[in-house]
Amino acid sequence: MNYLETFAIIALAGMIHASFQLSVSMLTLLSGHAIGSKTSQARLSRLTGGFVAGAMIMTTLIVSFLSYVASVIFGSVVSPLAWAVACGISLGLALGVWIFYYRKERGTALWVPRPMARFLSERTKATKLSAEAFSLGVTSVIAELLFIIAPATIASFALVSLPNDLQLLGIALYVFIASLSLLGVYVMVGSGHKLSRIQRWREDNKRFLQFAAGSALAVLGFYVYVNEVVVAAVAVAGAL
Amino acid sequence: MGKAIDVVKSGGKRPTESFDKSKLHASIVAACLSVRSPEGHAHDTAERVCETVIIWCETKPEITSADIRRQASKALETHHPEAAYFYNHHRVIM
Repeated sequence: MNYLETFAIIALAGMIHASFQLSVSMLTLLSGHAIGSKTSQARLSRLTGGFVAGAMIMTTLIVSFLSYVASVIFGSVVSPLAWAVACGISLGLALGVWIFYYRKERGTALWVPRPMARFLSERTKATKLSAEAFSLGVTSVIAELLFIIAPATIASFALVSLPNDLQLLGIALYVFIASLSLLGVYVMVGSGHKLSRIQRWREDNKRFLQFAAGSALAVLGFYVYVNEVVVAAVAVAGAL
Repeated sequence: MGKAIDVVKSGGKRPTESFDKSKLHASIVAACLSVRSPEGHAHDTAERVCETVIIWCETKPEITSADIRRQASKALETHHPEAAYFYNHHRVIM
């Protein structure tokens, strides 16, 4: 894999991460409750900023941790078996996203179990301090780990093949792209856009987002499988 | 309002409570403010919605919190469609 391919994989993985909606839902709720309870614009910015910072830092930690584990186990060349496992997870989750990422009901209700969604919703409603918002952002990423794990693992495997300084750049690229949807909502809320418009857009496009996220996961899994597993197997067969 | 109306809470597990206009008013104001309505407009809208809901429930001895929500949402739809959308959907955002 050359640098361009590696960064392209990291960017695509970041985009898939960005298309997951739990953090965006929680940020929308947090903004709604804050605006509804007459919070000042400065405090609203601090709350939403804290949430986005929490989500970005947790994403950084997850990708860094996975990269570290991968580099300890494999060094700078990840084995085809590990790539095959990551591809399997990616293709399985692609199917999962297509089938049950959104619930079959109005609104943008997600796959999250209802008691957990209620808890997160109540916590979001009760959030008054930036520190709470920060930890809520951290929680939102952890809560969606089930889906995030596939793009984060593939990005981490791609990252370990890079030199150290480029690994940092790769992590920054992944985190930035993965946070674009959150940053978009943050900017829109900060610039006075109506939450109802943001939510209406999300609801109108939820099936497209679901299809795009699932398809992108499938494409990523398939591409990496061909590029890292099939090519390696063909090379071994050719050498025999 | 002439007589107390019992409100059966969602799921029916929590005890019933009397209809509280101020709670409904606050939730409508919050929905209006969430879509960036001016505060005065939000209070006016909430007042009108509360009046409509009170007229609707006056003849009923017992109502559910879901009934109140439905009626409030219907009334809000005529006064402030954008707030009605948010009021209706805030439970299904996540």
